[in-house]
Amino acid sequence: MKTLLIGEYREGKLLESTYELPGFAEKLGAETAMLLVGDESQLPVCNGTLYLADAATCGEYNPDLHKKLILETVQKENPDYIVFLHSSYGWDLAPRIAASLKIAQISEVIGIQDDGSFEVGACNGKMRRNVKPAAGRAVITIQAGAFTAAEPGGTPTVLKVTAESGGALEFIGYEPAEKKEIDLAKAEVIVSAGRGVGKKDNIPVIAALAKALGGELGASRPVVDAEWIAHDHQVGTTGQTVSPKLYVACGISGAIQHLAGMKKSDFIIAINKDKDAPIGEIADVLVVADVMQFVPALTAKIAK
Amino acid sequence: MKLLVCIKQVPDLESRFKPDAAGVWYNETDLAFRMNEYDEYAVEQAVQLREKLGEGTELTVISIGPDRVVETIKKALAMGCDNAAHIQDPAASGKDPWQIASIIAAYSKDKGFEIIFTGMQSQDRGSAQVGVTIAEQLGFACTTTIVGFDYDNGAITAKRELEGGIKGVVKLKIPALVTCQLGLNTPRYPTLPNIMKAKRKEIVVIPVADILREEALAATVSFHPPAKKGGGIVLEGDVADLVEKVIAILKDKTAVLR
Amino acid sequence: MEATRQIYWNIGHGVVMPMYVLAFAAIGVMVWGFWQRLPVWRQGKALNRFDHFDERVKRMIDEVFGQTKIYRVTDGGIFHAIFFWSFLILFVGTMLVMIQADFFTPVLDVNLLSGEFYKAFSLLLDVAGILAIIMLAGLFIRRFITKPKGLEIVRDDYIVLQLLFAILVTGFLIEGVRMAATEIQQNPALARYSPAGLLVGQLFSPLTVGALLVTHKILWWLHFVLVLGFFCAIPYTKLRHIFTTSANAFLAPFEPKGSIATINMEDDTIEQFGAVTIQDLTWKDIFDADACTSCKRCQDRCPAYATDKPLSPMKIVKQIGELADGNPGGNLIETVSQEALWSCTTCRACQNICPANIEHVNKIIEMRRNLTLMEGAFPGDEVRTAVSNIEVNGNPFGLAYAARGDWADGLQLSVMEQDADVDILYFVGCYASFDKRNQTIARNFITICNAAGVKVGILGKEEKCCGEPVRKLGNEYLYQMTANENIELIKAYNVKKIVTTCPHCFNTLARDYKDLGLDIPVEHYSTYINTLMDTNRLKLTPEPFSFTYHDSCYIGRYMDIIEQPRNILLQAGGSITEMDKNGYDSFCCGAGGGRIIAEEKLGSKISEARIKMAVDTGTPLLVSNCPFCLTMFEDGIKTGGAEEQIKVRDLAEIVAERITA
Repeated sequence: MKTLLIGEYREGKLLESTYELPGFAEKLGAETAMLLVGDESQLPVCNGTLYLADAATCGEYNPDLHKKLILETVQKENPDYIVFLHSSYGWDLAPRIAASLKIAQISEVIGIQDDGSFEVGACNGKMRRNVKPAAGRAVITIQAGAFTAAEPGGTPTVLKVTAESGGALEFIGYEPAEKKEIDLAKAEVIVSAGRGVGKKDNIPVIAALAKALGGELGASRPVVDAEWIAHDHQVGTTGQTVSPKLYVACGISGAIQHLAGMKKSDFIIAINKDKDAPIGEIADVLVVADVMQFVPALTAKIAK
Repeated sequence: MKLLVCIKQVPDLESRFKPDAAGVWYNETDLAFRMNEYDEYAVEQAVQLREKLGEGTELTVISIGPDRVVETIKKALAMGCDNAAHIQDPAASGKDPWQIASIIAAYSKDKGFEIIFTGMQSQDRGSAQVGVTIAEQLGFACTTTIVGFDYDNGAITAKRELEGGIKGVVKLKIPALVTCQLGLNTPRYPTLPNIMKAKRKEIVVIPVADILREEALAATVSFHPPAKKGGGIVLEGDVADLVEKVIAILKDKTAVLR
Repeated sequence: MEATRQIYWNIGHGVVMPMYVLAFAAIGVMVWGFWQRLPVWRQGKALNRFDHFDERVKRMIDEVFGQTKIYRVTDGGIFHAIFFWSFLILFVGTMLVMIQADFFTPVLDVNLLSGEFYKAFSLLLDVAGILAIIMLAGLFIRRFITKPKGLEIVRDDYIVLQLLFAILVTGFLIEGVRMAATEIQQNPALARYSPAGLLVGQLFSPLTVGALLVTHKILWWLHFVLVLGFFCAIPYTKLRHIFTTSANAFLAPFEPKGSIATINMEDDTIEQFGAVTIQDLTWKDIFDADACTSCKRCQDRCPAYATDKPLSPMKIVKQIGELADGNPGGNLIETVSQEALWSCTTCRACQNICPANIEHVNKIIEMRRNLTLMEGAFPGDEVRTAVSNIEVNGNPFGLAYAARGDWADGLQLSVMEQDADVDILYFVGCYASFDKRNQTIARNFITICNAAGVKVGILGKEEKCCGEPVRKLGNEYLYQMTANENIELIKAYNVKKIVTTCPHCFNTLARDYKDLGLDIPVEHYSTYINTLMDTNRLKLTPEPFSFTYHDSCYIGRYMDIIEQPRNILLQAGGSITEMDKNGYDSFCCGAGGGRIIAEEKLGSKISEARIKMAVDTGTPLLVSNCPFCLTMFEDGIKTGGAEEQIKVRDLAEIVAERITA
């Protein structure tokens, strides 16, 4: 079995998440080759063949050109699976490859089943589906954090590739994220507020717990969208991915985007009224209680 | 100019999901249906563009599914789409993204659409494939997960949402397809006169058999609830007791409380 | 000597012609003034307020001559009522003099104004005049010296008070001068019956008769001109309320309280919904502005105004008047402001207290209808979400509709889908169905019904939001959609009686649904439980507790249910300490008018203000009988930091705990 892994590179840097691709291949027990549109000075630390195109000439986001590069590489390698991360890069490019090859794409894979099917989330993480490609080959995107990253090691055999530019799409540039006053990525303790806190007025209650625990205040996306908390506090795929020693989720039901951003935390405590909330799946402790009753009581006790 | 927006009717995600008899999709009993959230952003953006371009612009909405999807089509019409196509398919949930995209591409082929809007993904299946695949089949320029949209003189300037809050700005020449993400706009609430008007707008019904020529490339073999993560403790009961227990756990398992 | 007086003494009968000509001219000016208002009022839409003619006349007589509405508020009200009655006596007395002089004497040759009657007449008019002056002084002091908060001083106030004062004073001066020249000298026994005149007369006594005659003539004409001025001023000053406010007692609606015009959704010729200009309102809405005396009683009781929100019901009424007068094409909603419109809790405190029968609430709802149905506007994004949740799942929380009946698991009741043979259908409502705290109301109500041997059915997952919050926010379309589904369902089950625990569901099902074709008896549990107790089906073992009771707006003011819940609580062993604002004067919890699904972003919290009133009674317990109130108070106790002082409980909880085993 053979996989072609499509690495990711952004704003001149190899993305750390690229190592999750060989992690997936390892779990699948497959050989690997990698294609990366990046920079020679920043190669991934791994063994095997690395097809390298220069991002300076091929662009970091140029779907038509990247598609050409991948299709040419597919011809050379003839992989069973072409694997992307389920990211803004992966979900954009993967369907173009699948359509060109007219093979199945299986999106946001979180597990590998014995029957040759792949487990994916459904209904915003509430359910799961096992999906099987009709033919043997498939394009796959894997969920960020679902597969343990491979330990970096070794040296790749680099094969340089390139392709002609063209197409109707032009990449203009990046726009930086809104200024961050806090860096959640470095926080050891994060206490996050979700919709379950009820209203903006209740946010200080959550902030008080964060303070009592010596941590930072985090937030789920709906809370940020409702402007209860500023965007730089947002945890999740569209906010920051965090891995603190302790993560306390207050009134966060656990939408998949949020879970993906915090599930690497060492210890997770979730407080939620709903015993069946998806956050319970990954929490080490699920406290079934009203956030606005439990959190002030906990804060008071810790303060003592 | 002709515009197309593709929408899907999905169950409300607060619903309780149970596998159907075949165990490959959800049982529809007790589910409340609504327009896929991302498609609402697509409709709003399409309607805004239609309003900006004014006379001579025609916005069509398309949806695939059983007869219940007409309710959702009507909502899109009330929001400001001009006319609609309903691809009637009682078994739409069994179609894979390739087939769904093929249906829409086949419908669109001879219609002369210049911009197509879709949601970035559906909330129930979440494949994030259909939009891009339609573009591939039609040979349209395409970009995904947009949170900013502007059209001027044959070109779209879109802002893509990337990880960590960064945005990528791209320019596409039409014909083009964009997939829409949360944050792009606030979908309007249809006004009553527009709801009334929508009742008189044309909905073309096309049986799926007349338009689908493609076989599925993938099959769902199982639909099931997630396995509970082992080791997680669930604490219930009186708040004061809960606080005691959590403090004990924090002392025991973390270095946060000394 | 006979007790009478010579009418037109010193003035002479020659004055009759010019006097009548001038009087009719003044009345003509007055009528002309009102005539000119007609096209202003007529800008509004048609509305029939001339049905129930006899009852309307009777109500008008009661309210105008009984001063029943104005009298309810003592501040200003007592002065006004006594002044009114005194002035009325003076007016009738003056009329009587005219009739005597120009009809009885010349035509019939009878003198009514003589003998004992004349003595009583003289005394009465003098006392009335004195009282009127005293009341006027009271009103003057209140307006210009003590100045209650919110009371405005405008040009009219100077004109009206001074004019009335001048008329009364000149009246006494004429009498005094006349008496100085006549009665005091010729008939001192009779003079005693005009004590005020006597007093004034004695002041003038030193003058010579000639001087008195000249002074009298001047004063008479002065008084007469002032009276003419009074008539002419009526349509152009606040004095217009003599007619407009009285007319409003006739024009006030006869529909049940809280009735809102049900829009015909089948009629697709309607292209304009709600009110955005004066012309979208009814003529009565515009007339109301002329009936308003700016007494600010509405504003004083408005929970939104009291908590620093940009809403004053009085101001809205005035703004409507100003637009109708000066800028008929102006944008009503921009003038009033969206913030003011969305701030209303439809608590009806304004309308309940208004002595002029002005209908504030429906004006606001009409403007909200325009915002919602024509603009797709919401008071906030949280409301947008809640409304969309109601559309999809039939509840504002967005919880799965299939979970609506889960609270009843394990309880002794029947779900209509399975068994519709029940004594009552309990329409649970969204809060008691889904909200943990409020589910205790539902469960306890079932316990109570079980104890009384009442077989209860619920609609379970088939039940939908009654539509009240969205209707009050102006979304008639969504209201009718959800209402019609409920009605169809209820009709299909052949329900005999519906009981609700939520006053909002109660009003909607009992009154609003009638327009949509549901005509089944609907009761609120406060009266239902009261009847169960009265008929001995439910027995309580009293257990003492002390409490204060909050009248939910939609139970008290809207449904006139004031005593029954108190009776239940007293029988349960309670001893009540009333808040200042109770019964019809209760102060809203802040959740009405759809505010329950909106965040309270402006001003301070209404719930906290009400909790403070409850705390001030010194009782440790606040009892309510509405899920919205309970929700607001639980919240207000927390955010207001009153946890140590007071707790809030529902009526059903108190009763269920005391059921005799």
